[in-house]
Amino acid sequence: MTLGEWLDLENALDSGLIGGQLSRFYYGARMILVKSETDYDKYDEAFEECFSAVKKDTEIGTEMLRWLDKSDLMQLAEQEARDHLNKMEGEGIIIDKEDVEQKFKQRLKDQDSEHNGGSFWIGTMGKTSFGNTGGNIGGVRVGGATGYQSAFAVIGAKKYRDFRDDRVMTNRQFQLAFRRLRQFSSRLDTPERELDIDKTVDETCNQGGVLKIEMRKPRKNSVKLLLLMDSGGTMIPYSSLLNDLFQAVNKSNHYKEVKCYYFHNCIYSHLYKTPECENGDWVETKWLFRNTDKDYKVIIVGDAAMAPEELYSDTGNYRGPNDGLSGEEWLKSLKRHYKKIVWLNPKMAPGNAPWREAETAVKQMFPMYKLTVSGLDKAMIKLMETR
Amino acid sequence: MSIFEGTKGYVASPELMDSVNIAIALKKPLLIKGEPGTGKTMLAESVAEALGKKLIIWNIKSTTKAQDGLYMYDTIQRLYDGQFGEGGVDDIAHYIKLGKLGEAFDSEEQVVLLIDEIDKADLEFPNDLLWELDQMEFYIGETKRTVKAKHRPIVIITSNAEKELPDAFLRRCIFHYIEFPGKELMEEIIKVHFPEVEEHLLNEAMDVFYQIRDIRDIRKKPSTSELIDWINALQIGGIPYGQIKAKLPFIGVVVKKDEDLEQTVHHNFQ
Repeated sequence: MTLGEWLDLENALDSGLIGGQLSRFYYGARMILVKSETDYDKYDEAFEECFSAVKKDTEIGTEMLRWLDKSDLMQLAEQEARDHLNKMEGEGIIIDKEDVEQKFKQRLKDQDSEHNGGSFWIGTMGKTSFGNTGGNIGGVRVGGATGYQSAFAVIGAKKYRDFRDDRVMTNRQFQLAFRRLRQFSSRLDTPERELDIDKTVDETCNQGGVLKIEMRKPRKNSVKLLLLMDSGGTMIPYSSLLNDLFQAVNKSNHYKEVKCYYFHNCIYSHLYKTPECENGDWVETKWLFRNTDKDYKVIIVGDAAMAPEELYSDTGNYRGPNDGLSGEEWLKSLKRHYKKIVWLNPKMAPGNAPWREAETAVKQMFPMYKLTVSGLDKAMIKLMETR
Repeated sequence: MSIFEGTKGYVASPELMDSVNIAIALKKPLLIKGEPGTGKTMLAESVAEALGKKLIIWNIKSTTKAQDGLYMYDTIQRLYDGQFGEGGVDDIAHYIKLGKLGEAFDSEEQVVLLIDEIDKADLEFPNDLLWELDQMEFYIGETKRTVKAKHRPIVIITSNAEKELPDAFLRRCIFHYIEFPGKELMEEIIKVHFPEVEEHLLNEAMDVFYQIRDIRDIRKKPSTSELIDWINALQIGGIPYGQIKAKLPFIGVVVKKDEDLEQTVHHNFQ
């Protein structure tokens, strides 16, 4: 956000376009300040925090709330509180049912008797009391009908959460991210060796018919891609995600060459041709080195959750041959052969995770990104960097 | 100042109307994003109609350059004219043709300018338009003429989110994401198209439609325009009560991909 946008917001407030109602202000401010639906969820969080803070300052807060939203929100909140309670009783929470319910009721009573204007407690309620109690219950927030009723109903519904770009992604988003690889590739440093017909005609005409040749950089994509995917047991929960990734690469038919192989937990002397990883249906890793040059961009997808011996022992491959080298050494030879390698991890731990020894070790070898929209974007940029 | 409040043929949510009015008041382009079929392009038509202004549409393609919107210098025509001794060769202005943006600037009255699907063009495209959209003017080097907007056009830009738009560009826009309409709004939209639609047909079709959208792994979610087509087909086909969920007549109008069709046919509609 910039100063200019902030001034725009003040301008809009001055002109009375977004004042008068909290919900109009919510949408208006969002239009001016937030420029991508991927940030809507964060905006919701900030908005909620900012305006639920108002209610703590009892007298002024109440006054402000009344001024902001009058009775609409109150009624809505009350109605929802009732629904909420009914629903909870109906569904029957499995763990600590009584406890949770009691807490909820108690809180409800407390807040209500404390003062009469706190229309927001139900919104924060979902967050504080139940957010702490457990993940599944935390999801039960003040829901809301769509439309124009109340900003907090919209926030409560958390409907922009799916747009967040740090969430695990869908096939289409994969494809968009891979497009980035093409976009960057057209800026590759190559000599100008293609006739630019339009420019030549323009320049020639402009010179009154005296021929002037104009050249340009070829716009062809020169990216060659090597995709290596972990198909081991710990990766099974991510199989549909990997399938999506594979589809996205296949559909992005703008690469000069795409190769795809599979491995189980770690890369050793052989790479499998199919995700089933059956012995015999493979190519030698050394064969791959011979047949792909160093310019291949390598994307390794895996959770890097090997057991220490799988990474460090030269007999660590319990499913197939090692060829005398440990997993770590095979990974190192990969790093020596190719100029650009990134590792995508669907369940990466943040920072250095000492309890996940293998992941930390792999992180030191390859730049590792989480398999999300923003993670893949970063990985693609890393692959296209010229150094 | 004129306020946009929707038109008969176009149902807009309150926040969408607000976004148009804010954009007009702040004199900024309005950037509209949303799923295909949520009526992004129709919005501009509706704004033009409601405010009684002329609509100029600049359709962006993957090959469109920013320059195309400003003006074109037809050098080839000039060469021809020069060779055949046609008149007017000396006057370069004769060979300058204004693009859509130029046309909007040059108009004698305020117009609505729709820049449709801006994300189709090259990544740099929006950046090349920053100055022009900010200052509402550009300079034609060949004739040393500055084209300046006599009346600042109302600029509406649509995007399908195929490409990320540059920050510098986004900063200058008012942004609104059109959500997929909920059932109530959808009912209103359909009734605009078919005021006479039978209640039970509408309800049943909408039920199926939203359930299809909710099927997991569906590749292409059906959009509003597909639902409208389907209801049209169902009306013409005269489907008896209660048959829509069971038989899914004309389902090909709504579901277009083979994989999706298979999933839909095997889905148990409630």
